[in-house]
Amino acid sequence: MTGHLQLKFTMPSDPRYLPVVRGAIAPLAAAIGWDESDCRAITLALDEALANIIRHAYHNRADGLIELECRESADGLEVTLLDNGEPPDRTKICARAIACDQPGGLGTHIIKDVMDTVSYQATPAGNRFVATKLLRKTI
Amino acid sequence: MKISIRDAGETKIVEIEGDVDLGTSPDLRRTLLKTLLEAPKLALNLAAIRYIDSSGIATLLEVLKDSQRRNKEFVLYGLSPAVQQVFHLTHVVRIFQVFQTEEEALGSA
Repeated sequence: MTGHLQLKFTMPSDPRYLPVVRGAIAPLAAAIGWDESDCRAITLALDEALANIIRHAYHNRADGLIELECRESADGLEVTLLDNGEPPDRTKICARAIACDQPGGLGTHIIKDVMDTVSYQATPAGNRFVATKLLRKTI
Repeated sequence: MKISIRDAGETKIVEIEGDVDLGTSPDLRRTLLKTLLEAPKLALNLAAIRYIDSSGIATLLEVLKDSQRRNKEFVLYGLSPAVQQVFHLTHVVRIFQVFQTEEEALGSA
């Protein structure tokens, strides 16, 4: 088979859809070439990005929409999330070190640790989150 | 996610099955904080968890803080490789008392 793998869909900002997305991301990452541990980490990172949109952009409202696109690139995976909620406060993203007495903010640290590049943009089409992960092949 | 609770001496054992995420962690939080009030020690069995995200980890951190404030004990056991990976990614693995088996968890006091 030829051609890069691609997955695109729109989901409501309802946490009940998160397991559905996780069920699609892990097999896609495996098909691109990551091992089980990396597939779990990538799935977790994207789940955290979606959860952040639900919590912070849509303030736990379930009637928002999130567009998700996962695209196999020449060197790995690129994920784009688009929403029309409140723009993220960039000063608060990964602004705090992980500590026992402050459990909030763990998700953005996971995303940053797992993915190779992460960007947040406010665009006319909405808030745009783009993250990439390189597939490092071993010989 | 399914939650069940049983007694082992003076310890309350809470067992979770399924996924802990943004949608289910509020139920887990309510159950753990309530159960913590009912015994001097709370042991959480994570062996049947398929998935846990940062909201689940944040819940466990909150319960740990509450247990320390109340001079109670909160221990974890049965972490699968998938759950251990999330503990490592969130850098919390050394914050909790973690045991492999229920016997070890119950004997930790």
